[in-house]
Order: sequence, then C-alpha cells, then structure tokens
Amino acid sequence: MRNLFPRWVNTVPVKVIFAMGIVGGAVTAGINYYATPKYTRVGYQPTQPVSYDHKFHAGGLGVDCRYCHHGVDKSSHANIPSANVCMSCHKNVKPDSPLLAPIRDSYFGEDVNKDGKLSEEEDTNGDGLLTSGPSVPWVRIHKLPDYVYFNHAIHVNRGVSCVECHGRIDQMKVVHHNKPLSMAFCLDCHRKPENALRPMNEVTNLAWTSEITEDSSSNIDKIHSGLDIKHNWGVNPPLSCTGCHR
Amino acid sequence: MIKEIPEKNLDNGKRYWKSLDDLAETPGFRSWVEREFPEGASMLEGVQRRGFVKLMAASFGLAGLGMTGCRRPEHTILPYGKSPEELIPGVPNFYATSMPTAQGNIPLIVESHNGRPTKIEGNPSYIPFGGSTNIYAQASVLDIYDPDRTRNPVVIDSKDNSDSKPLTSLDILDYTSEWMQNGKVAILADKSFSSAREQLKQQLISKGVLWCEHEAIDLTKPEINLGKAFGLNNGLRMIPNLRKASRVLSLDSDFLGNREPNSLANTRALMKGRKVLSANDAKKMNRLYSVESDLTITGGVADHRLRLDSSQFIAFSNLLTAEVLTLLSKGDDKLIEHLNQRGASLKRHKKWIIECAKDLCKKPQESVILPGSHLPTEVHALSFMLNQELGAIGNTVDYHHTNSSESTISDLFNSVNNRTVDTVIFLGGNPVLTASDYEWEDFSTKIKNKLHLGHSFNETSSICNFHLGQSHFLESWDEGQTWDGTAIVPVQPLVAPLFDTISDIELLLSLIGSDVSSHDFVLSLQEKRSAKKSFKDFLRLGVEKLKPTIQSSKFELSKLNQFKDETTKQPSSENLEVLLVPDFHAWDGRFANNGWMQECPDPISKLTWDNALLISPVLAKELEEKYPSLGLLPKPTMLNNNGQIAPDNAVFDHGKQKAPIVKLALSENKFIEGPLYVQPGLADFTIIASLGLGRSNIGNVGKGTGYNSYPLLNKESNRIISKVSLEPTGEFKILANVQEHWSMEGRAIVREGNAEEYITDEAFASHMGAESHSPKIWGKDQEADLAFKAKTTPRGNSSYEHPDHNYEKSESPGLHQWGMAIDLNQCTGCSACVVACQSENNIPIVGKDQVLRGREMHWIRLDRYFSSTERDGAELPSDVQVSFQGVACMHCETAPCETVCPVNATVHDEEGLNAMAYNRCVGTRYCANNCPYKVRRFNFFDWNKRKTDEVYKGPLGEENDSLPAMGKNPDVTVRMRGVMEKCTYCVQRIQESKIQVKVKAQRNALLQSGKDGADIELKESDIKVPDGSIKTACQQVCPSDSISFGDISDPESEVSKLKNNPRDYSVLGYLNTRPRTTFLAKVRNPNPQMPHSVSSPHSSREYHDKAHPVHHDDGDHNTPQEKTH
Repeated sequence: MRNLFPRWVNTVPVKVIFAMGIVGGAVTAGINYYATPKYTRVGYQPTQPVSYDHKFHAGGLGVDCRYCHHGVDKSSHANIPSANVCMSCHKNVKPDSPLLAPIRDSYFGEDVNKDGKLSEEEDTNGDGLLTSGPSVPWVRIHKLPDYVYFNHAIHVNRGVSCVECHGRIDQMKVVHHNKPLSMAFCLDCHRKPENALRPMNEVTNLAWTSEITEDSSSNIDKIHSGLDIKHNWGVNPPLSCTGCHR
Repeated sequence: MIKEIPEKNLDNGKRYWKSLDDLAETPGFRSWVEREFPEGASMLEGVQRRGFVKLMAASFGLAGLGMTGCRRPEHTILPYGKSPEELIPGVPNFYATSMPTAQGNIPLIVESHNGRPTKIEGNPSYIPFGGSTNIYAQASVLDIYDPDRTRNPVVIDSKDNSDSKPLTSLDILDYTSEWMQNGKVAILADKSFSSAREQLKQQLISKGVLWCEHEAIDLTKPEINLGKAFGLNNGLRMIPNLRKASRVLSLDSDFLGNREPNSLANTRALMKGRKVLSANDAKKMNRLYSVESDLTITGGVADHRLRLDSSQFIAFSNLLTAEVLTLLSKGDDKLIEHLNQRGASLKRHKKWIIECAKDLCKKPQESVILPGSHLPTEVHALSFMLNQELGAIGNTVDYHHTNSSESTISDLFNSVNNRTVDTVIFLGGNPVLTASDYEWEDFSTKIKNKLHLGHSFNETSSICNFHLGQSHFLESWDEGQTWDGTAIVPVQPLVAPLFDTISDIELLLSLIGSDVSSHDFVLSLQEKRSAKKSFKDFLRLGVEKLKPTIQSSKFELSKLNQFKDETTKQPSSENLEVLLVPDFHAWDGRFANNGWMQECPDPISKLTWDNALLISPVLAKELEEKYPSLGLLPKPTMLNNNGQIAPDNAVFDHGKQKAPIVKLALSENKFIEGPLYVQPGLADFTIIASLGLGRSNIGNVGKGTGYNSYPLLNKESNRIISKVSLEPTGEFKILANVQEHWSMEGRAIVREGNAEEYITDEAFASHMGAESHSPKIWGKDQEADLAFKAKTTPRGNSSYEHPDHNYEKSESPGLHQWGMAIDLNQCTGCSACVVACQSENNIPIVGKDQVLRGREMHWIRLDRYFSSTERDGAELPSDVQVSFQGVACMHCETAPCETVCPVNATVHDEEGLNAMAYNRCVGTRYCANNCPYKVRRFNFFDWNKRKTDEVYKGPLGEENDSLPAMGKNPDVTVRMRGVMEKCTYCVQRIQESKIQVKVKAQRNALLQSGKDGADIELKESDIKVPDGSIKTACQQVCPSDSISFGDISDPESEVSKLKNNPRDYSVLGYLNTRPRTTFLAKVRNPNPQMPHSVSSPHSSREYHDKAHPVHHDDGDHNTPQEKTH
C-alpha cells in the first residue's frame, strides 16, 4: 500500500483547529462587542418629528428639566411633555414656525380657528367635544427591558442627577443615548452610590460639580461629599433582584 | 404608548430571505419574531383616553419584523395633545364607585392606569364592609375587557339591514322613541338597587309603560312574602348585626357565602366575634349552629352542623319555635301544640333541637336565627317570631322596611297574551335562560319589537330584533343603595365606553324623551337629596349615609297559626329532592364568561370550569348497588378492611376519575343531565344542582362548561324541588378538580383545637406536628425574639452557617423584614383572595384541559380538608368538619427552592423576600420540585399570549384578543412561556410604598431645612414604611381580616404581635424551612351538651391517634379524646 494521502494532509487537523479557533474567537469577540448595550445603545440618535433643541432650551435659556418632564420627581416615568406644555410658550414665541406644525396640530386638533371653542363645522367627529389632534410621535431613545421597573422619582429626590444616566443633555442639540444603561451600569452605582449623590437642589443642574473639587483635580472630594450625603440621608440602594424586577 | 414601526428596509430583508418568502408572510412566523412581551402596554406613556383602543390595536398590527436589523426596533412615545389635569403618567389614579348587583351596590375604589381600570378594591368608607370586596366584584374588572362583549348593536332579521350601513346605538334609540310614541311598551328589567333607575321607572310607569322585574335567584322574595304574611304593605328585610351576636343559628342560610345577600358585612361581623387572641377572647367567642342540606362555607365555619333536607325546614323551625317558646314560657298551649304538630316528623332530631334551643335561650338577646332565602315564608315568619321573642330584634338583627313587590314576569306574559303589549325592552338580565319555564317562542311571535340591552349576546338577545350593548359599570354614571339601605353610593365611570354601548340609565332617559346626560341626571338627584354636600364630595368619599325605616312594633304570635299547608314528606332514594343553588363560578349565569371565575375552584367541591350534581356518600352507595357500572366511589386503597384485594369500581381515564352523567327528571320533558360528584356533608337524599352554567349562547370562555339546571326551575322560581327521579345515561365526563384528596391523614397541617382546650393550653398548636418532638429548630436561639431571628437567620442545629439577609456589598441588612400571618380561625374559604391575587399579579387562566394536568397558575390556593369521627380509612364520611388553609409562597428563610436553582433565578433579598427573577429563569423546574409547599407555578405555555385551545400549536397558534391585555397591571411583569412564578408578597406594592415614604421624607426635610439639602439628616424611622400601609392584594380583599402582613423586625407591628401569639405555627416546620408565612391555629367552639359533641376537633383527634397510638391505648395520656356519642 503506497501513501494514499499526500504529505500536506498531516497538517490539516492542526490547521482546521487553528482556523476554527480564529473564527470562533472572532465570533465571540464580535458578539461581545457588537451585541452589548455599549455598542447597540450608546450613540443611538434618532431623528425626532420636531427638532427640539435641548442645548438651546435647557443649556442656553436655562429651562429646568422639570418644566417639561414634570412627572420626573413624582412618578416612575419621566414623562414626555404633552403638546400643551410646548404651547404655553410657543403660543407667543414663534407661533407660526413650520417646524412646530406637529405640535400645533396635536394641541389645537379640531379647533381649526384656534379660538379655544368648538364651533359646529369644526366638530368633525360629531361628538360635541373639542378633541385634540394626533399625538406627536416622539421617538423613544432610552428604553429599559419590560421586566425592569426603574423609578425616576426615587432617584431624583434622593440626589441622583439626570446627568448620571442621560449625560449632558444640556449640551446636546439632538439628544442621543449617552450611557449604556445595562444592568452592570445600574449595579455599579447601586454599589457605590456616593459617586452619584449630590445636594437635592443641584439635581437638575447638569453642569454641577462638587465645590471642593473646583481647584483640585481629584475625584476623591466628590466621593467624600457623596459619602456624607449617603450617610446623612440613609441611602442604601437595593442590590437584590426585587429592587428592579417584579 | 409604545408601538413598533416596521423597519424602513423591510423590502431588502424580504429579498434576502427570498426562498423563505412564504414563510415570512405567514402570521405564525410574524408572531414568532415578535417581541416576547406583546403587553408593551405596561409602558403606556400617555395617550388620548378616547384613542387608546385604536392605538392598542395599531401597536399589535404594526409589531413588525424586528429581526431585519440587529438594532433595536424603533419605539414612539405618544403624549397627549392637552394633558388632563389629574393625570401623571406612571402614577395610578383611584376613583370611588360601586358595583351594581341584585343584592345592592358594593362600594368600591378602583385603580386606573392612564384611563384603564385595572384593579378593584373595596371602599373603606362604607363601614360594614370595611374595604373588603367579594369574589365577583374582584372578577368584574375582567368583564370590561371581555373579548366576547357586545361591541356594536346587533339587528336581527330587520328588513332594511341588508346593505345599509351598520346601525349605531343612537340610531336604535330613534326606534325606541318611536315605539314609545306608539305606546304598548313593557320593560322587563333585572333587579337593581339604583335610585336613578327608580326615578326613571316611576316616570315611565306614569307614561303607561308596564314595568316588570325578574330575577331567577331573587333574594328580595322572602322580605316581600314576610311583609305579606304579617299583613303589611311593605317588605321586611332582615339585616343581621352579628357583631353583637354570641349564638347564631343558620337555617339553610349560607349567610357567609354567595347564596345570601350582604355576605361581606355578615362575614366581617361574625368573624370579628371569633377572633381569639387570648383565653379571655375564647370565653367570649360566638357559636355558630348550622342546619343545612348542602355543605356551604357557612357550614364549614359552624361549630355544630346538622344535615337536613331543605324541604324539612318547615318542620324543623316549628319544632325549634315550640322548644324556644316553652323555654321562655311564652305562647299559649294551643300555639305550642300547633307548632309541635307541624314539626312532628322531625322527632329524631329532638335532642339536637332542645340543646340548641337551650343554648339560644342562655343569652336570648345575643342570639339570632337566620333563615335561608330559598326557604318558604313560614320559616321566615317563624324565624322573625323567634328573633322577636328572644329579644334579638334591635340587638343582633333589624328588620328594615322595603318597597313592596313589582310586577313580575308572569304579569308581563298576561299582558302579552291579552295583546296589551306589543313592544318589550329587556333591561339587562337573561330571562330566556333564567325563566325557561315560560313560553318564549309564543312570546316572540306575539311581540313585534323586542330589544335586549345586555353586556353580551346571550339567550335572550337571540329572540330579539335588536341587541344593544350595555356599558360596563366602570363606563357608566348611576347611583344606588347598598343592601342594608344605610348608604347611597355613586357609580362613576373610569373610562368612556370602549365600544358603542349605552348604560341602562341612558336608555331609560332616552325612553322618557329626556336629553339630559346620565351624568347630569345623577348630579341632579344628588343635589336634590342633599343641598349641603357637593357632588364632588359625594364622588370623592363614595358613600352618603341614608336612614332606613326600621320595624319597631311587635307582631302577635298568633300570626303563626295561619300556616296550615301540608308539609313535604321526607325524601328517600325513591323520592329524591333537588336544591337549586346559584353556581359559585357563574352565580345565576352572569359570570359564566368570566375566565377568572371559571377557573377559581369552588371552595367546597374544588371543581373548576364545571358544575356537578352533588350527592351524599349514602346516596352514592345506594346508587352503586343499584347501578354497578356507575363507578362513583373510588377506593383509597387496593385492600379492603379484611386485607383482601378489592377491585375498584370507579372508572378512570388517564388517572382521572370519570363522573357518570345522570338524568334527573321531574316529568317527561322537565329534566336535566349532569355529572354526579360525591361530596360529604350533604343531606342524604338531597341532590345539589347549581344554576348558571351550561349556557347555550355564550362567549368562548363559558362555552361547553357545565350543565344547565334551569329546566327544573318552575315559574315561581321555587328552588326546592321534590319527587325527582334519577337515571344514569351511561355516559361519563371528566371533571377538573384541583384537590382530589380531602383528608389530612392525621398530619398536623391545619391545627385545630376547641375553645376549652385553648383556654387550658394556649399553645396547643405548638404541641402538634413533628417539630414538637424534634430538636428545636432554632437551637439555642429558639426563645430569641422574632426580630432577632428574622434579621440574623440563626444557625440552629445546622452544621452550616446560614447566610444573613444582607449582601456583602450592602452596609446594612434590609430596613424591614417582611412576614405574613394567616389566622385560620378567621378564614371562611370565600376564595376572594384567589381572584384578587390573579387580578393584581397578571395571573393567566389556563383552561380546563390544562387544569386537568395540574397546571393551574393561581399563586394562592385554598386547601380544603374534611375530617370526621366515623372515618375508618376507606369510606367517604357523611358528617364532616371542614378546614380551609390558604397556601401561597411561604418565603422560607432557608428556602429549599433557592439551593437547587442552577442559574440563581430565585434568591433571597435583604428584606427576606424569596425573589423570583423571571428574566433569569431557564425553566428547569427544580425549584418547584424541591418546594415542600408546592406553591410554584410554571408557565408551560404562553398563556398570556395565545388562546387556551391554541397553546399546543406553539408559535403557529392563534394569539389572544388584545382586549384583556389592557386590564393587566403595568407594575407587574407579564410572564412568558418557560418561566417559573409564584407569590411575591406583592413586591410591586412593597417597592412602591418604600419609594413613596422615602420621597416624602426627603421632600419634607428639604422644605424644613430650606437649604440645598446636603445637610439634611434622615433617621431610620423616617424612611421606614409605617405598619399597615402596605396591604397585599389578598389581605386587602379579605372580609374577615384573616391575613396580616408587615415588618416582623418591628415588635410593634400587627403581624409581629400575631406571630408572637401562642396559636402561631409553621406548616411543615420540622423541615427547617423557617417560613415567613405562618398560620394561627383554628379554634372551634362546640357546645358540650350537644349530641355528637367532641372535646377535640376531628382533625386533631386524627393527628393524636396517629402520632400517639401507644399512649392512646394506655389511656393514661392526656391527649384529648373523643367523647362517645
């Protein structure tokens, strides 16, 4: 019996194993990187139906977060403002801007002549009630899974600023997803809340840094003031499943 | 509202999958790639209230092929155009309203999430109910989301409907006003306590409309007949005040259950008098005597129970009255003789009656006699006289004046036959089903215009030309009285009608030609009634006081001489008696399409999705002999008493006993057919048949459930039927019973003692069970206080250190340690907790087929045990004591489920909760296998997503209607297939309370300091949840407050106090699971003078017989022993 296989066949198993290792490693690395919240979420910046500029309103004009997101310190949800909130200013400021058309449609609805009353010809659906228009379809940016019950009120009232999860919204012309909002992200903070705590009045001041740290570059003083707050307020965030999963 | 928008590059995706194009188009595939939780409704962010149904539908429709990209699908958030003032997205609102029933309105507080009613609770402002609700009120929220309810008016065989556009309710109201102008209109209404309807009724009657009322199970009938018997123009309604009662005798009256009105107030008051926390309480404990033909939950509570056929109650109450009058030396000899003569047939129960009468006369003013509403007027008259002569009236019972009777359904039929009526409007109800003895075919040919207003298309709608959808009570304005007439309560809508439906008030308003809205009408009624209080206050409190007229003068005893009809003969196996009762699941049929009610097991028979003909073991034995192939009685063992192998008569299919279907006939064409089910505790020759199931024209849920027993009901709706014959049909049916085994087999699961035992030994419960013999569970810390044990988890006798309930990275253990105590002495078995839990926690129903496989999902189950004196191991006993025990996850401190979970999906949290992380669960079911209490439930299928009969098709199965999803609680995850679930102690309520307390403390402190808030100091007490502010769903609904929940590390909390009571014990405590839910032993209060009285409850005697057989034989051990009888 002569040699049935050529000589190079001897190295095939090694090569196959080696190639499989490379492919497997690439797939694993790819999934680890591309399928994690860090990649899939951070940077998500959809186009909104109305190009509301947070940098201008919150950063420039200094409108407080809670003017529009008024449920944030009372409810689990930080509500997206209804059209009437926008219109409380824009009835007078740029009332005819074409960019605000979806807001006006939603606000006035059947009230075509905008007099606040419903005349008979305006009552298109015939129910005798002044019906507002279609909702403005804001695109959701920050979304947690359905089995996670995050509560805004407890965080905002206990000195965790908006900036901790949402980044410097006051510097974003178009809002994007800034932090991964993964479970590890939540737990990092729940384990060391002192890194995130600040005086209650500074919660919506996204530019705030601890006064002590103004001249020193270190982060340690921020932690110190956070530790004080944590101690004084008895902050002890839950680390077990029931804290967020119900 | 979040909805998914199809990806823009959908076409590309399709081309890529070219070969699978067809696959991608099938609905099955589309649903498979859909998100796991279609109930994205939980993230509702603010939608137009009126538009949310549309959006709901759109969100399901648009849920697209999310797999075409790796990115997350795009969601939108739709805020209001103009936000309603009172609404903050994510914060539920609560409104006071009430549920109209044929037994008075039940005051409610209803929770609403963004305009969707999700959970019903009782209104605590109405004192007699104390914030509790019954099972039907709990389940009624499901009816608003019933996919089978009427969405648009239905026009049947109308001439012009062929191609014209569908009619709206308003169009139909045009027809009705036309009819009104022509006259000859009659209205057949169901019973209502609405004062708005009463007003409109008077106006309609004055316009010449014939107003009739019909209710198959009419609980106001006895009061009207009693008034008539005493020669009054008004009815006499009995309102017991059991809080003051120390001796209660129930004559076939299920006054704690679903068969009598006002059961919530009765339960609350009676059980208050049975609350035993000290020996002193035990001395004052009330005593309940129950004489009944069926075994009801009232009989389950009773200290003494006598089985007696319903037809024999005339004799029984005559004999009793004779005894009591003799003891009180009242009444002349002639009357006593008359009474004795009428009671002559019951001489065999003489001893029972004499001893009972003696006990009633001990404290006559604190005694009360309660007759069942299905019993003849004579029994009610005798009970009135007994209560009067005992001096109970004014103390333990009051008789209120009520309106006299309305025209009835027979008046309607007279007018129809006289041709004085050509138009009939059915206002709710379902008389074609419930009054099937009338000639409806003849009726429908004689009447030109027939309109039915009802929740859904039913038997009555099918004979009408028009069917209009009736708005649910959570969609309509009304106001009504409670049963006891002490309060008037509003019916306030929480949501605009979801479909094109109108309420009964709106229909009546249109009939009188008024264009006032129902809201304005109710407003005007309230303003007329009380000028001082505003309508808003009325709606906010939800209760306004009324003063009923109370019967104050006495009646002559001689009125009893009027009853002279012949008494019914004692039933026998040749002459069977049938008692028709409202079904537990469906009541008179109105809840037959409610899945929660269908799947909630009947408290006594434990049947779901079906009703059965209940027969006594004595009758079963006779039938077995007569028809050997029947297979009624299964043998618990293979061997008979002599140790020989005895063949089993029962017929089984896949391990499930088949119930033989029999025919019960009254005459040739009046008969019913239903499966037999043997149940202890029944009168020997009475068969219990329940009304309300087996309906022919019903939605998908109620289809094919049970049998219909209305054919036996006669025109007078007399529910006691004699001279019935029984014949097997040779067919069989399998019944879905969730608890087939009824005996505790001498184990100390439910621990019971008599009041006297308790007085001598308060800790009798801790001397039972294996742990009373084993080394101490907590070792050297056995006697340590509750808070120490809860916070530190002492090692006990274990070789291993137990981890404490804190996490390594957390600085302190939890602020609270949650625990629950269930007082078995307070539980009546009403099962309201089961449905309350289902409603709060988004628990799905699984259908009969899956219940038969033991896959029901209820987080709390109510175990029912029977125990008896005569038990010899093989025979089903006749005289039993009933014990109930609610079992949910016990939140063991050393939980066996946690150690076996391979993925740490079930772990402890720092506050002692046994947490269940659904998203981590992979479905090994090891935990359920290792749970000694068997309280874990597994999602074998996508119950929430798919129709119950389609689950086996997996992703190809048809999906559920989206409507019920709107009633889900958005604070609780809707679980998917393949995960385990169980009681969480309502963790959503716990977390919400903790958050609220902290937010409030922080804000108050900030306001007080006035600075930036950094230097605020909060004490531990500031951020702790105050005792009593968290109520679990089961606790909140319970009418007798048998469940307590709270922080056991706080020695002052209610639950700590109960757990420190000597009656407290852990079920299976010897397993060292250290459950956080513990039970308080049941205390019975028998009268030692009574025949068959025992010094110790049957179950504890069984336990002691099994646990100490040697001592028992010696006779020198002081275990309580049964007295011979």
